[in-house]
Amino acid sequence: MTFSTSRTTHAEAILGRELHAKLADTKVLLVGAGGIGCELLKNLVLTGFGHITVLDLDTIDLSNLNRQFLFRKKDVKQSKALVAAQTAGPFNPNIHLTPIHGNIKEPQYDLSWFKSFDLVLNALDNLDARRHVNKMCMAAEVPLVESGTAGYLGQVQPLLKDRTECFDCIPKPTPKTFPVCTIRSTPSQPIHCIVWAKSYLMSFQSNTVVAGVCLTQASSSPVANGVFQLFGEDEDAGGQSDLDEAEKQGENAQEIAKLRQEQQAFKAVRTALRTPSTTDPNADPAKMAFQKVFNADIRNLLSMADMWRHRAPPTPLDYDSIHDGTFVLRSVKSDQAAPNGNGARANGKNGKASKGSSAVEEMLDDKSGIREQGPSSDAARLKDQKTLSLKENLNLFVASTHRLAERLRDGEETISFDKDDDDTLDFVTAAANLRSAAYGIAGKTRWEVKEMAGNIIPAIATTNAIISGLIVLQALHLLRKSYDKLKNVFIQFKPQLPLSTVGVSHPNPSCGVCRDVYAELRCDPARVTLGEVVNSLLGDGDGEGRGTGPRDVSVYEDKRILSDPDFDDNNDRTLESLGVTRGKFLTIVDEDDELATIAVAISPLPEPHPADGPAMILPSPLPSPPAKPKPAAPMPSTPPPSTAVKRPAPDDNEEPLPKRARTNGAIPDSVFASPSKKRKLDEDGLVMLDTANEELRDDVIEID
Amino acid sequence: MSVSADQAQDIETATTAIETDPPSGAPDAKTRRYDRQLRLWASSGQSALESASILVIGASATATSIIKNLVLPGVGSFTILDPLAVAPADAGNNFFLDGQESIGKNRAQEAVPLLQELNDGVVGKADTRDIKDILATEDGQRWLRDFTLVIAVNTEGETTKRLSQCLWEAGEAAPTLIVVTSAGLISEFYIQFREHHIIESHSESSPSLRIDKPFPALLQHAMSLDFSTMDPTEHGHVPYVIILVRVLEDWKKEHDGTPPKTYAEKQEFKARIRAMKVKQDEENFDEAEAQAYRAWTETTASLPDHVPSDIKALFDDPALAYGQLTIGSPPFLHLLDALKHFVSQPPYTLPLTSTLPDMKADTTNYIHLQKLYKTRAEEEKKIFRGLVRQPVDEGLVDSFVRNCHAVKLMRGKPYGTFDLDQAAIANALAVSPKETVTHLALSALSNIGRQNVSVEALTAEIQRLAGPGVELPEEELDAAVGEVARAPTADLPNVAAFLGGLVAQETIKMITKQYVPVNGYCVADLVDTWTGVVA
Repeated sequence: MTFSTSRTTHAEAILGRELHAKLADTKVLLVGAGGIGCELLKNLVLTGFGHITVLDLDTIDLSNLNRQFLFRKKDVKQSKALVAAQTAGPFNPNIHLTPIHGNIKEPQYDLSWFKSFDLVLNALDNLDARRHVNKMCMAAEVPLVESGTAGYLGQVQPLLKDRTECFDCIPKPTPKTFPVCTIRSTPSQPIHCIVWAKSYLMSFQSNTVVAGVCLTQASSSPVANGVFQLFGEDEDAGGQSDLDEAEKQGENAQEIAKLRQEQQAFKAVRTALRTPSTTDPNADPAKMAFQKVFNADIRNLLSMADMWRHRAPPTPLDYDSIHDGTFVLRSVKSDQAAPNGNGARANGKNGKASKGSSAVEEMLDDKSGIREQGPSSDAARLKDQKTLSLKENLNLFVASTHRLAERLRDGEETISFDKDDDDTLDFVTAAANLRSAAYGIAGKTRWEVKEMAGNIIPAIATTNAIISGLIVLQALHLLRKSYDKLKNVFIQFKPQLPLSTVGVSHPNPSCGVCRDVYAELRCDPARVTLGEVVNSLLGDGDGEGRGTGPRDVSVYEDKRILSDPDFDDNNDRTLESLGVTRGKFLTIVDEDDELATIAVAISPLPEPHPADGPAMILPSPLPSPPAKPKPAAPMPSTPPPSTAVKRPAPDDNEEPLPKRARTNGAIPDSVFASPSKKRKLDEDGLVMLDTANEELRDDVIEID
Repeated sequence: MSVSADQAQDIETATTAIETDPPSGAPDAKTRRYDRQLRLWASSGQSALESASILVIGASATATSIIKNLVLPGVGSFTILDPLAVAPADAGNNFFLDGQESIGKNRAQEAVPLLQELNDGVVGKADTRDIKDILATEDGQRWLRDFTLVIAVNTEGETTKRLSQCLWEAGEAAPTLIVVTSAGLISEFYIQFREHHIIESHSESSPSLRIDKPFPALLQHAMSLDFSTMDPTEHGHVPYVIILVRVLEDWKKEHDGTPPKTYAEKQEFKARIRAMKVKQDEENFDEAEAQAYRAWTETTASLPDHVPSDIKALFDDPALAYGQLTIGSPPFLHLLDALKHFVSQPPYTLPLTSTLPDMKADTTNYIHLQKLYKTRAEEEKKIFRGLVRQPVDEGLVDSFVRNCHAVKLMRGKPYGTFDLDQAAIANALAVSPKETVTHLALSALSNIGRQNVSVEALTAEIQRLAGPGVELPEEELDAAVGEVARAPTADLPNVAAFLGGLVAQETIKMITKQYVPVNGYCVADLVDTWTGVVA
């Protein structure tokens, strides 16, 4: 008996010789090498998958080591994908292991690339990447297993086009958002101050904030963008022209002048942060920044009397008097909104939340309070679970500002918030707490701020291990085409029933992702125009495989409309000039809403391709979208049973379907359907707490 | 065996070193490493974990998966006991061996360095003795009893029984035993413990706010407010607790002192709350309506119903019977006894919670309300403390009072008790046939030995266990016996991963005494993907 055969004895016994032999030729894509990814890579190697590509854009952090077991302390800051492959690879030298340190959304990972895999496994931590991989797998018709964990909870979902529902068949909750005016001028909860510190002072996603819907005068300014960034990119030029533009449009001249002034003051602080330190205490950039945001800006807001008619005004903070301990907050007992909602919710569960207003009292009393917040006793409290006094927050603000300024001077161009970057976390903690003090809001400990600002989800090795075992077992069902065995599996918080399962559902007939008809267009985007592409794809409709023939359509790339029957300006432009390049989809929507949408993936021409060869190779046959089902209005959140195939009923022993992810209010199905002109493209006036593009980091799922 | 004292110190240091000027607030490397799990079980749980010493019998793929998931979060120490040499099949399915290099060498000695490498704060030891030899001597038995927790993976039936007996007979202080059995895609584990106390159960139920039994200061405050003269801002910020107390009090005056009982009454009660709104968008009134159930379910009328039934059931525990409690009894029992006495006197409730949930309110109102609760909670805690008849650590008292609506006292049975009780088997077969038959198939495998497996032998043994003539569910029996007979010794990577996670999870629950562990045989079938508990 040779080593290479006998070491697979167990696996063969279970999988059967046929499936086991097939595994050696199976090509698997593993997206993410974090908590679930590490476990999965180990399982894939042990199970005998012959070709594994593992992709992750992230690097290793110390806080990963409590569960991402392929990494050691010495690997911190290295690429997750590369180190994971290095650690797991030697276990079985017969396996072809390809690590990629990159972003799954990059254009080279196009439809053809996805089609080269037999199986895709998601081990992701963010909705955006999940939805992207789902779409690619639906387009490529490659089986996908989706998964996620949060603390003790987890889930596994096998997905296959036309066989099961896809990830987007059921709307997912949208990220939490806040009105700009609340963040900028009228915070009432700790989370508002944290978002302010994180978004306004640190870095700024200028595309996530669109001003203009606030009712109060002070915050209705059209020029919120970028003005207040201390450590981010210098958006001064942009802000300036916004101001000019606003002036032209006849906005309140007085307000614009004020904003100009603010902008100048901010510029001075920004400059001070980037120049070598001086001995002049009044030129201390931390003090300048403090006086600007916690004093001058608040005074400025106070001058707008209308704003404070129905709410208590904030108190400007004073650097020197806080420093020497003589500062008095006058509005302690004022009529301010109390902590409520999001703030403490995240903490309430782990039993050591600092409850809102007790922290206010502590902070305002300037006592370093250690009061019944600890899990069992004072001694057992972590030092960053300490409630900081006003003065301590000031000190922390100064210290962290100096540390960040130092980094700017050492060459870092911008510094944005990272929950595992202590300097930024200290800064956000201190700035948020100081602002809270000014507004009579509860302060938060550094520990809590980290969780709230960093969207941290507890993560442990055990849950990831359970989930990763289940993922491979579902993947094997998919490869074996044992579709009757496919299950959506949930780990739940019930000692009497650790797992609950439900049979997989059929696709939602109105799904805007998996009900589209996909095709691949190989072309040189610089040499083909939108018009010829669309016309060629529609074909002449003259028989089998020759398309639907000309009809009224609108054409989109993602959310951008490129043409419709009344708008043909772009038809003569090349795809390249329209930004429709490799990895993108051209979406062709039937104007009469009768035929399903066609989604065409743009791929490069095959190589070698003669220079004088055709600039595009049409899919053959041409896409022939079926008639769209007429959805009953309003759309149910779960698809109704299809008449053709019986929707599997849950087994008798199973728990009821776990709660569907909560949607943010009533989300019309159209939000997740193919783009349509009726769709509202941007949410005006909102600050996003979560950015859609968070890195592949932990293993997060959207659980209620 | 005890490595853990200095380990435990580390977290202690991390928790107390708070005085830095300016306060950096930054935690040390250890806290950062464990950040994501501290959010689940806090530093108290982490300390317990770091003080624990674990013995794992067997160095199979499943065993090393379990250990991996204990080393990563920072268990104090682990010992692997295994006399066997690495076989080629082990090298192919156990990630914590050095592949071909390990073949022929001792399994425990090969696995320990690779597991220990995962976390330099953990001590790992390999022991090449045979568990049978250890059980055969007094010294060996004492050695076993020194661990915090023992995990036996696929040990032979007879050995498992002797191990179980050895640990059970050691009494209260004995280590917890977890017996893990797997064959192909089916598996089970059983946690043997005598008594398990949980203060921090992390229950999803929230403590009573005593809406329907307001303490005097709360009632007085609620009745003193004049809603009609408030300006709209004030009106929109009255905390829902106050609204409910007020509406309920008015209701009771009209209904002979009883809260809403019938469906119609409850609807009417909610309608009253809605009618109080002066503007449609008053969230505090929406909250009051959503929380209205507190007015009739929280602390109804009289003893014994105003204490959650789970808690009330604990008061009947034999440990609290007259004369049973002694100086040496665990502090938890003394606290439970104090609780029993606390609820038997006015106001016949559990001690009041001092933490208010979040609610729509203005700061003044919220702080005032919070002060009322805090003051009263302090008073009641003082009374409670007076009822504790034995000196108990102050932190423990606080924690107990804070969690008293969801504390747990679990009692276990020796491993194998179920298999000797044919009435229990018959009952379980009726309630959950596939889980029970699958468990019996694994018991049969242990009993007849992995070398002697056949469908017939397994079926006969199952029938013997269930009792002659007892009808067994045919389809489920065939499935379970078939899987066990197909792969009696297979230790599959994905089952090992799954089981490794599940068993380590329960181990952590037992060690930290947080969250509620499984009580009974937890059976898992990964052919059809289900789990269940047989007890």
